[in-house]
Amino acid sequence: MLYRRAGIRHTSYPKERQLWPLPFDRYLVTAVALFLLAAPFLVDRLYLVAYLLPWIIWSMAALGLNLLMGGAGQIHLAYGAVMAIGAYTSVHLVRAGVPFEFALVAAGLMSAAIGMIFGVAALRVKALYLAMSTLAMQYIVDFVISHSPAISGGTQATIQVPPVSFLGIALEGDLPMYYFALAVCVVVTLFMLNVQRTAFGRALAAVREKDYAAEVIGVDTFKYKLLAFWTSSFIGGVVGAVLVVSYLRSVSPDQFHIELSVQIVAMVIVGGLGSVLGSFFGAALILFTPIVLNNLVGALASGLGIAMSADLRAHIPLMLYGAMIVGFLVLEPLGLAKIYDNVRNYFLVWPFRHARR
Amino acid sequence: MRLDRRTFMAGTAAAGLVGFGKPALAQEKVVKIGMPMDFTRVYTFVTAEYSQGHRDYLTLVNERGGVNGHKIVADITDHANDIPRAIEAYERMKREGAVLIDPLSTPVARALVPRALEDKINMITTLSGRSDAADGTAFPYVMPASPNYWTQAGILIDYFRQQDKDLKGKKIVFVHIDTPFGREPLPILQALAAKLGFTLQTFPYTPPGNDQAAIWPQVRRARPDWVVFWGAGVGQTTALSEAVRNGLPMDRLSSSVWLSESDMEVVGKDAVKGVIKFEACAGGRDPKVIQAILKDVVGKGKGAGPEGKVGTSYYNIGVMMAAIVAEGVRKAFEKAPNGPITGPWLNDGLHAIANFTADGMLPGITVTKEDHQGGGKGRVARWDGGKFVPQTDWFTANQDLVWAEIRKYSAEFKKTGK
Repeated sequence: MLYRRAGIRHTSYPKERQLWPLPFDRYLVTAVALFLLAAPFLVDRLYLVAYLLPWIIWSMAALGLNLLMGGAGQIHLAYGAVMAIGAYTSVHLVRAGVPFEFALVAAGLMSAAIGMIFGVAALRVKALYLAMSTLAMQYIVDFVISHSPAISGGTQATIQVPPVSFLGIALEGDLPMYYFALAVCVVVTLFMLNVQRTAFGRALAAVREKDYAAEVIGVDTFKYKLLAFWTSSFIGGVVGAVLVVSYLRSVSPDQFHIELSVQIVAMVIVGGLGSVLGSFFGAALILFTPIVLNNLVGALASGLGIAMSADLRAHIPLMLYGAMIVGFLVLEPLGLAKIYDNVRNYFLVWPFRHARR
Repeated sequence: MRLDRRTFMAGTAAAGLVGFGKPALAQEKVVKIGMPMDFTRVYTFVTAEYSQGHRDYLTLVNERGGVNGHKIVADITDHANDIPRAIEAYERMKREGAVLIDPLSTPVARALVPRALEDKINMITTLSGRSDAADGTAFPYVMPASPNYWTQAGILIDYFRQQDKDLKGKKIVFVHIDTPFGREPLPILQALAAKLGFTLQTFPYTPPGNDQAAIWPQVRRARPDWVVFWGAGVGQTTALSEAVRNGLPMDRLSSSVWLSESDMEVVGKDAVKGVIKFEACAGGRDPKVIQAILKDVVGKGKGAGPEGKVGTSYYNIGVMMAAIVAEGVRKAFEKAPNGPITGPWLNDGLHAIANFTADGMLPGITVTKEDHQGGGKGRVARWDGGKFVPQTDWFTANQDLVWAEIRKYSAEFKKTGK
């Protein structure tokens, strides 16, 4: 019905190869894009700065990690550290007087360079062993940052982000920051959507499925594994810079600890490995479920007048949250993106239950 | 009912819709304050006790008719020490009209500083957050209103000096968690070592500090005259039990303010007899305020938590901060009885707090436009196996060094911040 395919005939290759060949998909994307563009004028400020903005930023991070985990099949438990490198690089450069446009790219390059060094480990080790070596990266980066006063900013270990401007627009106030993050997110999303259709993306997929088989068919795994780490870390560095400039506004080491890395890995897995849409779903679920459940339990407790200790009130949402993550993974191991896909497939052939694909 | 994919999805979606919008409470004559805190991740039982004391004091004030006919209403929620959650809570509370926020978490306070300064919302950073926020000229809306870690270290060292008459040639060992928080007192300790002529030896342990077995034999071998251990949560109890295991003299062992009766119970009340800690407010149930809470709040079944926790160190710190906030509200009403109740309105009130002791529970807190530390007074208390017994009167020490450090960082903040 909605995603009607009947009667749509592509008469040229570019038409069939476009990102969204079905009109309904295109309308949906346009509608979401328009909503995001108009959001500052449609939704309350609270939802803009406390929901949409972090969602956009964390989704970008999930996208960057998804390239590596879903695209190239390399696990990475130090994405928070990658973002930290980008964040600190950009903030220090801006403080030194470098324009933010350059600092943003430099943040990506710095993260990419350091991320690739640790990516070398991926050439020798796989799976759990790779997880351990990336975990080492997390701790090494944490240690270096918090033990170098020149980086972390002395005993207070907090550096304020000075006022910056991007392409002549001062990033001050909610609107410019939101649109800046949204613009970067659009670039990253378009890159991710397209990368799967390039030779690079297909080479990564080959490496993901079996690296020596990829080697047999002529894919240089050495090169592509490093490139995967390079690209993913570059995105991570840029996201780190966006995060501190438009959301946190100050940078300190404890914002980038292992918790952040695990959070982003969870977003990728719950959302769906290798799925662009899934990264957005995963980010939303992992970021907002604790908040929404907390508000829900709070509203229920005060609305129904249930006497509950603050401790219990704080822990019930966590139990529900845990149960929900398990529920989603048990009922749909392929992630939230797959749930959307199921719905879409259902409507693709509705009112019939099955059709030849 | 069988839990299948469809019911699960429908259930979670429904929960999401309900949880998204929270009904606004009816408008009364209230002063709203926001207390997003970490009940579940790092500070856990510290938060629970602090929050209990805080709420009990507010109940006491409100039961007595509030301040100027206004009730002080605290919105309490969990931020799990997670920055996005804390920012969501902050923005939500701001929208609902909160004029003061108390996050009780150093990372969260650091992240909220730029927002609080921009939005002109008072932020309480009790014994946490940035130490340089003591400089009110750089942080007009950030109120530690309690002695910062530099002051605590300065007071402990001064107590050692009082005990030993002279610290020249003595050896002081500083065992600390290897995080910015743990390293914070180092500049003051180093400056004092140079000034007073003692040797300072430092032993960092890796966070969270549940394994310090490698450190404490070295501490014993160093044969220190005094030991200062600096951590939080599990690091504190581990430090204490390792110190006991290594046979260090307990009466030469000291801690920052983050040591409580609960920690002592974990290690063994009698094994740690003699341990010293810094106190920012009177502990126990003796202060008049605590007696009033026991009689009028807990006694009438309106207590916010288990009665056994009333009068513990963290409970009393919660009472202390609620009392300071209530006093700020009182002063604000004195200055501008008709409000409007806003951040700047309360800010004026908080700045007018002068020599406030909460019926003898506090050392006499005076907040000025320059000094947000409240005077930096505290005292030293010793564990006698059952409670902490004060060893000194309220005093302050080495404030020249502390303020040099405060100004160094606040100047840096002024330069780069907005």
